[in-house]
Parts: sequence; structure tokens; C-alpha cells
Amino acid sequence: MAPLELSAECDELYSTLLTAATESEEGLKKQFFQKDVAEVAKKTAKSVTELLKVIQELQNHALLRASRWQGSLCWSTRPRGAAEHIRVLNTNERTLYEYVEDAHTKGIWLKDLKKRSGIEDGKVQKAMSKLEGARLVKVIKNVRAPAQKTYMLFHLVPSDDVTGGSFFDAGDLDEVLIEEVANLIVFHVKMASWEESKVRQPRRGRSPVDADHQGDDAVAGAETNGKKRKRTADIEDSVPARKHRSRDYEDIVVQLAWPAGTREYPTANGIHNFVTTMDAIRASKAQQLTVAEIQGVIDMLVWDDKLEKVGAGYRTVRGISFRPPGAVADDEDEEDLEKVGNGLTQTPCAKCPVFDLCGEGGPVSARNCEYFAEWLNHGT
Amino acid sequence: MAAQNLAELCAVLIENHVGDLAAQIFTTLSEHGRCTATTLAGHANIPLRRARTGLATLIEEQLVLHHTAEEDAPTFYTVSWRNAYNLARHANVIALVTERYGEAAGQVIKNILQLGHARVGDLADAYNLAPASQRDSGIDMVHAKEGMTNGTAKPSTQHVTSTAEFHGILRNLLRDGILAKVGARSFMPVSDLQEQLQEAVIVDQFPDRKVTGPKKAREFGAAVNELKRRWQIDDTFSEAVDVGSRGAIKRPGDHFAPNKRAKLNGGLANGHAIDESSAPKLSLDLIVRVDFTRCTLGLRSRRLHQLARRVLGNATGAVYGALLKCVERKVRIIRSEPAEDPDADKILPSANLNEIAESLDREVDLGSSIKGVGGNKHLKPNGTGMKGKKNHVVDDEFAEIGIKEELSESEDDEPTANGLSSYRSHAKRVKMIEAHLMLLEEHPKGFCKRARAGSTSTDWGIDFDALMDALIEAELDDTITAKFGKKSLRVVRMLRERGRLEEKQVASFAMMRVKDVRSVLTELQSEGLADAQELPKDNQRQPSRTTYLWYFDTQRAQSLILQQTYKAMARTLQRIPVERDRFRTIIEKAERTDVKDHEQEKLGQGERAYLREWREVEERLLTQVARMDEVVVILRDCSAKDVSLDT
Repeated sequence: MAPLELSAECDELYSTLLTAATESEEGLKKQFFQKDVAEVAKKTAKSVTELLKVIQELQNHALLRASRWQGSLCWSTRPRGAAEHIRVLNTNERTLYEYVEDAHTKGIWLKDLKKRSGIEDGKVQKAMSKLEGARLVKVIKNVRAPAQKTYMLFHLVPSDDVTGGSFFDAGDLDEVLIEEVANLIVFHVKMASWEESKVRQPRRGRSPVDADHQGDDAVAGAETNGKKRKRTADIEDSVPARKHRSRDYEDIVVQLAWPAGTREYPTANGIHNFVTTMDAIRASKAQQLTVAEIQGVIDMLVWDDKLEKVGAGYRTVRGISFRPPGAVADDEDEEDLEKVGNGLTQTPCAKCPVFDLCGEGGPVSARNCEYFAEWLNHGT
Repeated sequence: MAAQNLAELCAVLIENHVGDLAAQIFTTLSEHGRCTATTLAGHANIPLRRARTGLATLIEEQLVLHHTAEEDAPTFYTVSWRNAYNLARHANVIALVTERYGEAAGQVIKNILQLGHARVGDLADAYNLAPASQRDSGIDMVHAKEGMTNGTAKPSTQHVTSTAEFHGILRNLLRDGILAKVGARSFMPVSDLQEQLQEAVIVDQFPDRKVTGPKKAREFGAAVNELKRRWQIDDTFSEAVDVGSRGAIKRPGDHFAPNKRAKLNGGLANGHAIDESSAPKLSLDLIVRVDFTRCTLGLRSRRLHQLARRVLGNATGAVYGALLKCVERKVRIIRSEPAEDPDADKILPSANLNEIAESLDREVDLGSSIKGVGGNKHLKPNGTGMKGKKNHVVDDEFAEIGIKEELSESEDDEPTANGLSSYRSHAKRVKMIEAHLMLLEEHPKGFCKRARAGSTSTDWGIDFDALMDALIEAELDDTITAKFGKKSLRVVRMLRERGRLEEKQVASFAMMRVKDVRSVLTELQSEGLADAQELPKDNQRQPSRTTYLWYFDTQRAQSLILQQTYKAMARTLQRIPVERDRFRTIIEKAERTDVKDHEQEKLGQGERAYLREWREVEERLLTQVARMDEVVVILRDCSAKDVSLDT
């Protein structure tokens, strides 16, 4: 349908437009309005009619595509390679391709393609697989709708909206990366939060943390030793790995506070800077990380009670430690469960699956409760 | 209307405390609401005589309040939920008083708690102090019933020995508000009291009995509040009125002297100065009871102190404890009356740096837990004499509180403090305290702040309203973490901070997979802690075309967990008789008159071990109840927002 040869002036115009487009920020998405094109094509096309002729020719060669933006007609360029492929497509395929092209880096759902083009089901399927085969479009995974097939032009990189950002890997949440970044942040912030110093003290039977809290737990006298230790260990020095024992003394790492108002705790920007310049993370990934994403991790850590906001920056919660690099993540969470809690959650009732049914005269009551028996026997 | 869980808990508590007849009457009364003795007997299906006996016991403990409107009108009885629940707080109150005022005071409080209220004279009799005393006339006989400890209560180890000591203790407790005077009004339901107040005002100031129009209504309200305050002052213990040798001081006109309030506060602030042995005796006719509101304040302070210590270390915690102690004396009630002018700056209860320094334990090492504040010197109190010994103690203390020890040897050689150096050391100490307070202020929870923002005044205040919200949230967080795990905590805190969110937003903020988030949210929803708001996209309300916005309602979660706590407390208490049944043989043997107090000789080793096991079990269950009460303190009593018991 199109003439075999592209005229020289058209070719020249196209090259100029393509260069302008690639040099602009928007890349191939750059739109040229009529006056833009006229400006570029001053030499070849003196009048509007001539200009239209040139544009028509380029359009026929699929090197330009027309679209409408805020009511006025505009054009954008296509790469030569793609244009060649498009020229051999049939109408259906061409329509579909144009829809995918319009969606740009957001991608378009197969369902939407069908709906908008109005082409019947089977034909769409066939056309799309042909386009895929020609390496004109590709299927990507959209985190927002993982079940939906989403198409995008082959040469495009999906936007963060679609991939979910740096913490997604092929549409799947990269939990290891998140954990690693979180750990790194805790490490970094902790260094800046507290002055650590070692205290040498005579070794005793009980750990100092226990002794410290003996007063508190006067009421909890009935608790067993083991349980008590677990419960209070979070208070101060939960860095067991750091304990260095000599014969009669042991060094305990303690955290000293900085005087209020004298210290600038790391801010999101600072943390971002640290994380991205550290070699701990793959360089390509590190480049990708944005301050907003780091802020997201920081928020998560605040909710997890690991960081606390002080002034404009962040500080680690006292007693929080980071996992030494290389260490395997153990069942930390399991332990944490034991540590916290209050009067209610320590009772068997708090975890009782039939708590709602329990009552005097009911099928379950304090009288026949087996959890209580177990609880009372535990540790006695 | 108090909920069923609370009713059940109160019934169990009353049964343990004063017996099952009283419990039965209490339950009936709580089910049917306010009624007369005759109706009550009818409802409960017991003879009137027995009903009256039961009511008398309950009234003694102020578990039931009564009111007779006129001379010949029938007396109506109402249950007092708050007082009934307070039975569960006994253990904590005793612990608090023992911690603050010593063993002997704890013992006195324990006795008063058992009695409900007591006349000072009777108490003195019981301690064998008054001239006309017979042993065992009072305390132990009045309620020979088993108390909370069910007959295994150990005999008190430390008795009050002298009259002076006894009166000193009582005066201290009264002055700090732990004990309160009992008047006729203590036995009246709040609503009746309010009615009586209004009636008195109407008779007094509105002879035409018309309170119409906003202006009049405002006048009326002000008058009622004024009278209420006067009655409150009237009911409060005051040194001037209630101290012994009545007549000499007590003049009728003295009652409403304008300087009275000020005097009271002044007395509280420098309370340490009173020399106990020379203090005048209390009137023997004074009737006292434990004021639980006050004790709750104390428990709240303890809790805050613990929290501060956890997040900022021991020394800072100790400073905060001292601040709390100073401030507590100035706070009369937990519920602040609504401010008349909402725009006015809130006046925070505050304390001066010097007061804090005064009440702070001198052994606390302030310098070394903040980097660069203490320098290299450990600030010694006016350490004279027992140096060697003390040093050792201090060392231990260091280790215990886990702070950096920077005590240099040379310090021991320093001359004892003379005037100048003691002045200097005081100034230094105050400066360090301030550094700790600034640390507390800086913390995101906002433990305290300067009484006047922006100034460098030495007054530090505590914004309890804001702090309590934080404390409640922390309590909920603890519960949720322990029950559902860290992931749920993350989601809950996010929902609280960010408001209503869609599932996918939750997932992206929490950095979790949608699948995991869904299971967390569903679990929370089935427990009633989180909920989703439906936003249908069209008229059909199809689930697939509906957006669900998840949210976390702190107040709802608070009351939910409170109810669960009540229930768990009731269950734990109900378990005690079950366990006792298991150990029945040995308990009966141990309680036999010939075995009692001679357990060592009369019981075999196996039996003793068995008995010990029972005591451990009982102790454990009771301890757990006390710990749950701490949860109730936070969730119900510490914030002015919870109104579940205002009936």
C-alpha cells in the first residue's frame, strides 16, 4: 500500500525529528505539533499542503504516528526498525499495535485491548501472538494485577508503577532485598544513635539485665526464671554475640544516650545516601533506589519498633541490634513473641481458641480448661 | 451499663472477698438495677433478713451504694462497679504502698482494704496500741473469712510497733491521698449525689425553681460546680480539721476558709519535712478508706516510669520517676474537668527542677549515661563516713543498671563537701537532671515538656492527656504483637497512622505480599480489631466491584481488649477453687489447728513439697490477676476518654 521508496526530503525530515525526539526528555514519546513540524520542515515544505503531503508519506511508512493531544493533532516518531515491521502488519494488528504503543510504559491489559479495539476475541489473540513473535510487543507482569496479561512495546522498560518499584523483582516482592536494606539501615542508624561502650564487670550468676529488673517483677515472682529472662532481655543489651568473656569479668556493651538537641540523627536523605553508596547492594539496584523508597523502608522500621523519629532524623530504639552481615536470619520473630506481652497475653486465655465459648456451665469453663493445667505445669 | 464480663468478674471477686451470699446479692442487684431491699429479696429468692445481712456486708465494703431520698422513703440500693472491680486491685495497691511507704504501711493498707473502711480507733485497737485494747478484737475477727489469699495468707512479718508510728503512717497516707476520709456521701450513688447537689442549689439560689434560658443554665451549672467543689473539699482530709484533740482547732468557720486549698497543696509539696514522732495523733473517730483513684495515679506513674526506663535507660528513667512523683502530688484527679475556655493554654501539672532533685534518689548516677554530660566524675552525694562500703554498693548499682562506669579512684580522696562545693555539686546535679529531662522531652513519646514552651524555665510539666494516648496505644501494640505477631503490629500501626487504606496500599506500605497482608487483615478482622469499610462502585453492591478500605479503631480495640481482660481475670480467679480442689487433702491438713504454724514438724517432706506447690500455683494465678489489673489501669482508668464505668 505504501510507496516502496521514501523520498529524500521526507527522510531528512524524519531524521531531524527523530534526533530531536531522542534528545528531548520524553524520548520517543515526544510529540510534535503542526507548528513544530513546520519549523523543522521549513526547507522542504513551504506551504501547509506540502507539509501535509510530507507527513502523510511518513505516516504511510509508519515512521510517524498521529495522535491527538488536547484537541490538536500531533505526531511522534517511531524507530526505523519498528516501522519496517509495522508496514507489513494487517489492519487489525496495526490497530492493536497502536493501542499498545499509546499505553507506553504503563502497558495495557489484554482485556482492555479487546474492549477498545472492538476486534473479536480469537483475532486479538492471534494478532497479539504474532506481534509478540515479531518482537514488537512483550508481555510484562503488572504488580497491581498479576493475573492480567499486560502488553507493552518490546523496546520499553516498564515504569515503576507497573513493576512496583525497586523492591519488586519480575513482579514479585523481593523480600530478601527489603530485609537486607532494612538491616543496613538499622546498622547505619544505630551507629549514629547511641554511643556504645563496654563495661567490664565481675561475672555473676545472673545476667545484669535480670538483676536490674528484679524490682519490677516483684509481682511476677511466680514466673519461672527462664521465662523472666526472655521477657526482660529486650530491655537493654540484647546483643549476646557481643559478650566477651574473660575469666572473672565480662564486657557488656551498653548504649549511652547523646545529650538532647546536640545531635543530628540520620535523616531519610542521609540514609538513602548511605545505602546507595555502600557496596552492599548491587550497583544497578542501588542506582534505582529512590529516597521515597528508602523512606518507605524507614516507615516500616518505625512501625516495627526498630527506629524512632527524633526531630528531623531517626534513631534506633534502645536495645535494637542489627543482624551481622552473613548471618542467617534465625527465628528471631519467634523469640520476640515471647518477650513482649502484658498481663493479658501471658494468660492461657489470650491464646485460647475457644475463649468466646468459655463460661460457667458451658462446654468449656475454667474448671475443665486444659490450657490452664498446661500453663500451671509449665516450669513448675 | 457495664458488660457481662465485668459483672462476672465482680461476682467472682466478691465471692472470694466476702462470701457467696454477698456475691449472689450483688449479681441480682446488677441484673435488676437499682431497687429496694424487699424487691431485691424477691428477685434473688432469699429471705429478707438474709438479703439485709448481705447488703450490710456489701455496703461496708462500698460495693453497694444506697440512698434514701426522704425520711420515710424506701432506701434504694445500687451496685458500684468501680468499687467492686477495685477488689482486684488490692494486690497492686498493697505493693505500691509497700514500695513507697514501707512494709508497715503496706500492712496497714492491707488491713484497711480487707475491712473496706475502718475507724482509726478500731485500727489502733487491732494493733494493740490503744489503751483499752484486747488482742484480736478488730481486724482479724471482723472478717475472719478468707480474703483473696484464701486462708493461706502468711502472717504479717512486720507489725506496727508504736502508736506514734501508726499515726505517722496513717497521716502520711492521708496526706498523700492514698487514704481518704469516709463520710455519709461516700455511700451514695453518683447520680443521687448529683441530684442532691442540684436540689441544694435550686433551693438555695433559685427560689422560683426555674432554670430556663442559657444564661440561667450557665449560672446554675457554675453554682452546682462550686458546691460540688466545696463538698469535695469538705470530704477531703485536712490537717487542720481531722487531727486529734478536736475542738481546739476545729472551728465551724474554718471549713471554707479561702486559704485552705493553698494550705493543702503546700502541705503536700514539702511533705517530707514532717517529723513523725512529734506529729499530733489523728482523731480516733476518723473513718478512713483507701482512695483508689489516688492509687491508680500511683500505678500509672509506675508504669510510665517503667516505660521511660525501657526506652531511655535507667538513670533517665529514675529522673522521670522523680518528676512523676513530684507531679503526682499536684494532680488531684485523673479526669481533668473540661476546660472552660478551650482556647486557653493548657496548664500542665509541673514540678520545679529543685523539687525533682530533692525527690530523686541520690544514689542514681546521672552523669555517665549521657555522653559527655557527666564528664569523668561520678557525682557523689555528700558521701561521708561509710565510703568504702558505699563504693562497693555503687559499683554494684552500676552493673545492675548497665551504664558506663566512670568512677575514678582519685575521687575517693576528695575532701568532704563544704559549703561551696556542695553548692556546686547541687548546681551540677540539677544541670544533669535537666539534661535527662531534655532527653525525655526529645523522645517521640513526649514524656515531659517545659511548663512554658520556649522558655528556659526550670519548671517541667507532663502532658498526661497526650501521653496516656501513647501509653494506651503501646499497650494495645503489646497485646497485638503477643497475640498475632510482628507483622500484624506493623499493619496495625500503619493503619493507625495512615487512616483508611485499601488492601493493595497496605501491602505496598508494609512491604509485604498482598497474600500475606490479606491473611493478617482477615485475622485481625475476625478478632474485631481491624475492620473494612465497603465502598461499592455501582448500585449492585457486588463484592467484586467494591473497594474495601481497612481501618483500625483504637477506641474499639481498647474496649475489646478491656473486655477480654475482664474475662481472662474472671477465668483465672475461677481456676483457683479448681486447683484448690486438686490439693484439697494437703490444704485441709495444713489448716488443722494442731498443724497450723507447725508445718515444719507436723508435715512430712513430701507433704511440705506438695503444700508448697499449691502455694506456688495460687500465687501464680493471683499474680496473673494483678498483672492483668495493670492492663486495666492503662486501658480503662488512665485516660479520661473511657467512660464505661460512669454510671
